[in-house]
Amino acid sequence: MKTNASSLAALAAFVVVLACVPLVPGALDHYGAFYLFLVFVHIVLAQSWNLVAGYAGQISLAQHAFFGIGGYTTAIVATRLLSDETFYFNPFAMLAAGVVAALFAAAIGVPLLSKLAGDYFALGTLGFGEIVRVVLVKGGSFTGGSFGIAMSPAPFDTLAPHYWVGLGLAVAATAAVYAVSRSRLGLALMAVREDPMAAAASGVNVLRFKVLAFAIGAFFAGIAGSLYAFYVFAVSPVGFLNLNWTLYPILMCVMGGSGTVFGPVIGAFLMTAVFSAATLWLPAAHPILSGAMIIAVMLFMPNGILRVRVARSRRAPGGGWRPKRLLRGIEQPPGSVGVATRAPAGSWRGAQPGEEP
Amino acid sequence: MLEILSPRLVGELLVNGLLFGAMYGVAAIGLSLIFGTMRIIFLAQGAMIVLAGYCAYWAFALLGVDPYVTMIALLPVSLVVGAAIYQLLFRRAAAIEDKNTSLLIAVGLMFMLESLMSVAWTPDPRSITTTYTATSFDVGGMPVSITRSIAFVVALVATALVTLFLKRTLIGKAVRAVSENMTSSMLVGISPHRVNMVAFAVGIALAGVAGCTLASTYAIDPYFGFLFSLKALIALALGGLGNVGGALAGGLLLGVIESGSSFFIPGWGDAIGYLVFLLVLMFRPEGLFVRSVKKA
Repeated sequence: MKTNASSLAALAAFVVVLACVPLVPGALDHYGAFYLFLVFVHIVLAQSWNLVAGYAGQISLAQHAFFGIGGYTTAIVATRLLSDETFYFNPFAMLAAGVVAALFAAAIGVPLLSKLAGDYFALGTLGFGEIVRVVLVKGGSFTGGSFGIAMSPAPFDTLAPHYWVGLGLAVAATAAVYAVSRSRLGLALMAVREDPMAAAASGVNVLRFKVLAFAIGAFFAGIAGSLYAFYVFAVSPVGFLNLNWTLYPILMCVMGGSGTVFGPVIGAFLMTAVFSAATLWLPAAHPILSGAMIIAVMLFMPNGILRVRVARSRRAPGGGWRPKRLLRGIEQPPGSVGVATRAPAGSWRGAQPGEEP
Repeated sequence: MLEILSPRLVGELLVNGLLFGAMYGVAAIGLSLIFGTMRIIFLAQGAMIVLAGYCAYWAFALLGVDPYVTMIALLPVSLVVGAAIYQLLFRRAAAIEDKNTSLLIAVGLMFMLESLMSVAWTPDPRSITTTYTATSFDVGGMPVSITRSIAFVVALVATALVTLFLKRTLIGKAVRAVSENMTSSMLVGISPHRVNMVAFAVGIALAGVAGCTLASTYAIDPYFGFLFSLKALIALALGGLGNVGGALAGGLLLGVIESGSSFFIPGWGDAIGYLVFLLVLMFRPEGLFVRSVKKA
């Protein structure tokens, strides 16, 4: 990623332009403003997944659960603890949403991540999401059952506050991923992603870093849930515990290039445009188009837009560009002693001897 | 609580669970074959099951064809469809190291199928009501539905056939070899693409079988499939990977767990199923029914 002053300035200018959009008269009544708001929500979510899967290499299918936990936390805090006039974008409520989601992530992350890897971790997180859904539906008056919780309507008559908060969160999430990617933490996460055994051998506490990434990712997903709850001012299992809140961000990350700082941003802009266009003009066909889009992207650019570009300009090995190998079976890194010491690719849990106490 | 636990009640819960679990088992065997060779979670399996269910429904509603006749007729069709799905959608992705690609293609396919069915046939739940749907027979004083029993028998037959296929035919042995070790099987001349295609074809054929039996037993709607995929995954995890009998046993066990837990704590049946799933993943990742020592 280029990090020189000019590209930073261009980015800052882009953010400023986005921030000025609500100042244009009439702009907020246009569908475009809503589109941008959705993009911001998706950027936060996509970056949350990017951190867990793109950097730490742990495919989480539970981001919708953290999104839902964030939304529900916001609704519960807002309806129980705060007065109706002041709760909108209350920093306390939003932080609480993130923190509660992160606590949940840490609590399930320790057992799941210490025992499961690869597909098995993905399945486990999927199971966690389903448990959260059932708990929310059966939560009685505390979670409002299958109806959910209604918050009092927003005191604002424009989208502007939502828009700005969304933009701020999207920038914050992207900045956080950037900071992580430049830090020792990011280095450790990428080492864990590339080869957990080697990372452990180099003194990286694999489990701690995996859980940390999972919790930070959940924190952002929870905040995104909080923002969205403030937008729809009602939370329900159907709206918030929807697997789309996991799948769309994954699609955006993979399309833009997961494991890069700006890939998810590009992916969020593009995919939200596709989904919005489909919603506007082909409402009935929307999910059909989304499905076709997912398949097409995966078939023709499985490495993502940013990755393709990076690869073409640099051809640097290890820079995210993975040459298509014939089949996964031969993906064992050169120098590994063969199947006997290493679980076969994709076994129920990729055995990671370095991790065992 | 305990005084209502009469043998009769326990028997009914068991029988109901087993009969419904058989369908989870059939779906799980399909998933197991696909996962075994390609190492991907084919989340669209449930959507394929529902699609087959709709085929059976429309064949019955419009043409009056018995769902079990449709099931036989669908077998060759679904084999071809499965092979086509592999060749068109997964062939390229199978050669890529990153398994996200295949997972997302499956998700895309699921979205497409769900909404196509929803647009074409409305999201209303549908079920096939034949002349014998409501009939049941007595087993020790308990009424047992005939369609559920047929579903159970079909599941057993399907499991037996798939086991025979894997053990007795050359290509079946190749499927098992690839599940065991892709690299070595390529070294002895097995074409991974061919094996993947066969696994997909058989997996989708099983989805066809499960769909027809499901539609004649329960009401289906276009979005039912995802839930069914998840259930099949749980059954798969319970039974252990690459173990056809285990997948069926896992499905039966899941059915019993669900029927039991939804009786004693209504509404929590799903959560308990997933909890068992998580626990099994963590503590017995090789499955509950595997006696052998670890493979690698």
